Amino acid sequence: MRNSAQNRSTRHVAVIGAAAATALVLAACGGGDTEPGATADGGATADGAGGDGTVTVWHYFSADNQVKLMDDYAAKFEETHEGVTVENVYVPYDQMNSKVISAAGQETGPDIVVFNGAEWSTLALAGALAPMEEQWDGFADADQFPDSVIHGMDDHVYAVQGYVNLLGLWYNAEILEEIGVEPPTSIEELEAAMAAATEAGYQGITLSGLPQSQGEWQAYPWLTSQGFDYSDLDEQALTDGFAMVRGWVEDGYLSQEATTWDQTVPFQEFTAGDVAFAANGNWQMGTAEADAGFEYGVVPLPVGETGKVYLGGEGQSIGAFSDDPDLAWEYLTETYFDTDGQLLAVENVGSIPSRLDASQEPAVTDNALLEPFATTLAENGANYPDPVVPPENVADLQTAMGQAWSAALGGQRSPEDAAADVIAQIQGLIG
Amino acid sequence: MSTPAPAAARASAAAPQRRPRRQSRYLFLLPALVFLALFSVYPLVQLVRMSLSDVTASTLNTAWPFIGLENFQQGLASGQTGDALTRTAVFVLVVTVVGMVLGLAGAIALRTRGRWSNVLLAVMVFAWALPPVVNGSVWKFLFADAGLLNVAARAVGLTDTALPFLYDQYWALGAVAFVNSWAVIPFNALVFRAALLNIEPEVFEAAALDGASRWQEVRHIMVPSVRPTMLVLLVLTIVYGFRSFDFIYVMTYGGPGTATNTLPFLGYLQAFSRFDFGLGASTSVVAVLVVLVLAVLYARSISKEEKE
Repeated sequence: MRNSAQNRSTRHVAVIGAAAATALVLAACGGGDTEPGATADGGATADGAGGDGTVTVWHYFSADNQVKLMDDYAAKFEETHEGVTVENVYVPYDQMNSKVISAAGQETGPDIVVFNGAEWSTLALAGALAPMEEQWDGFADADQFPDSVIHGMDDHVYAVQGYVNLLGLWYNAEILEEIGVEPPTSIEELEAAMAAATEAGYQGITLSGLPQSQGEWQAYPWLTSQGFDYSDLDEQALTDGFAMVRGWVEDGYLSQEATTWDQTVPFQEFTAGDVAFAANGNWQMGTAEADAGFEYGVVPLPVGETGKVYLGGEGQSIGAFSDDPDLAWEYLTETYFDTDGQLLAVENVGSIPSRLDASQEPAVTDNALLEPFATTLAENGANYPDPVVPPENVADLQTAMGQAWSAALGGQRSPEDAAADVIAQIQGLIG
Repeated sequence: MSTPAPAAARASAAAPQRRPRRQSRYLFLLPALVFLALFSVYPLVQLVRMSLSDVTASTLNTAWPFIGLENFQQGLASGQTGDALTRTAVFVLVVTVVGMVLGLAGAIALRTRGRWSNVLLAVMVFAWALPPVVNGSVWKFLFADAGLLNVAARAVGLTDTALPFLYDQYWALGAVAFVNSWAVIPFNALVFRAALLNIEPEVFEAAALDGASRWQEVRHIMVPSVRPTMLVLLVLTIVYGFRSFDFIYVMTYGGPGTATNTLPFLGYLQAFSRFDFGLGASTSVVAVLVVLVLAVLYARSISKEEKE
């Protein structure tokens, strides 16, 4: 019996030892030693990138109209470059930066990276982007681009934006007509309209409260509308901003479910037809046309005099380990940086061209849906990220503010506590 | 006296054959050892090295400056590591209790071999084998305000307003833990069932003759017979709960706010959202240490129990 017990004991200890070893590996994987989703798809494609007549483009677009734009760019470039193939590779938004950085560590990566323009510094600091000031200085059309869409540091140009994206207030014209209100021009009017819509059995507004950079992007106009500014960290103003939108949740205008939505889901909710307003971007134009079975329109976000709206959009860069940077540069100049190419983005996605000449084209000036975004750009547009945030702390600040926004909307923290917590965090980041 | 001699002869005759067989056994172990060293030991060493270094996006691809325990101090001082540990403990508790109890219940229900039992098991294995990203997305739909569970809850009059499965700070942690448990139940049921199938049918026949009720069968025959399996499975389930990441990533992204930030997700945020790889690695090392302590405690308790 003793022997048997000992054997059993040994067996159990061995099995538990194996379990512990498994635990170590799994915990290590879960914690961050391994990249989520691994690099299989992107890495495999990157290996075949460049030098072989292939331009590999990493992007995070999943909406049909955005994917079509990438396909149109590929077709446009391939048409004038015989034997060249453009390979568009989808990388999930949350994994883009880590994949690009990880690939750079292995001295590989895409020829072109299309990424959240605000995060250029994260990629540039990691050595994942090729400086392109030489190409840029020799680019005949460079003077068509305003400084705010050219990103770089230490005399290097690392990314340029082919277009600008920003938020506007989409409205369901049929609901507004039913409840008898005009599209709002102030927060008071917006709140009154949402109250009337809720009373009539509709939802008031959709927006994103996800605890990450998309949440921070969506929070910014509402927080600044109450006087908050990253260059002057006023805790009361931030509290007011959080309290205002938390109040919308408590009054039933906004679903608390918004804390689980990225920017795509709330617009799907809007196009389903039971919501009066959506704080969402110009890039949803194609989705609205395809999915909304009702009359709709856009007005500038009613954020008052102090309110600001980020001028975002994707940045385009040449990967630091592109096998053929010259071909990559040609791709950029004939797609994202080209007048016709920028008009393709207007047509497909409703993006606002960054080129001065393209922005004067009828496709832009005659488009009633784009006009409110252009007005916002001129009156409330703000650099994204805020220039007071040091490049190396941008990602940190976005996460901290995104979490605070989500915590306030979801009721995890009171507006006062959320504001106090996040101010304490970002004071150290801004300096 | 005549018996030992042939026994000794047998032993001596058998010895030359056994020895090479024993040695060759280790050859079979070699690939696994190499694999383990490459993909477990090396990453772990790197993880510990990273946790003691200042590794950010700008230093990741260069030499890592050594900073000692600063990352650990920073994590603890911010309160994030402590909060995440508490959430992880709650999470692990839910996953373990639900996973073990319902796993055993499933095994008892499916104890007998039969067509329907096998079909149901196949379905369970399918659910278990589905990638967590798929599982998580499906559950996110089910838990939504307009999802099946809320529609059903309203239909039966359980609630007038939607149940806040994923967007209330308390419900969210419970809901994601529940989905994690749900995903581990099939595995636990399979392992428990294998143990139950080892019980001789005569034992149940004898119990039936003694007039044992079904509950008494469970309590006095089944539970004691799966006890060794249960202890090992407990460790595995705790570890499974502890490494929870994918369901949280898909369903709540750690929110609302930080309500579902468990240790692995906090590590992910620090390393891949904030790009402070050193801080993220230190959080992961804390997770590894906690699991190690758990494993040692269980190993010791089982060893002690067996000796008694």
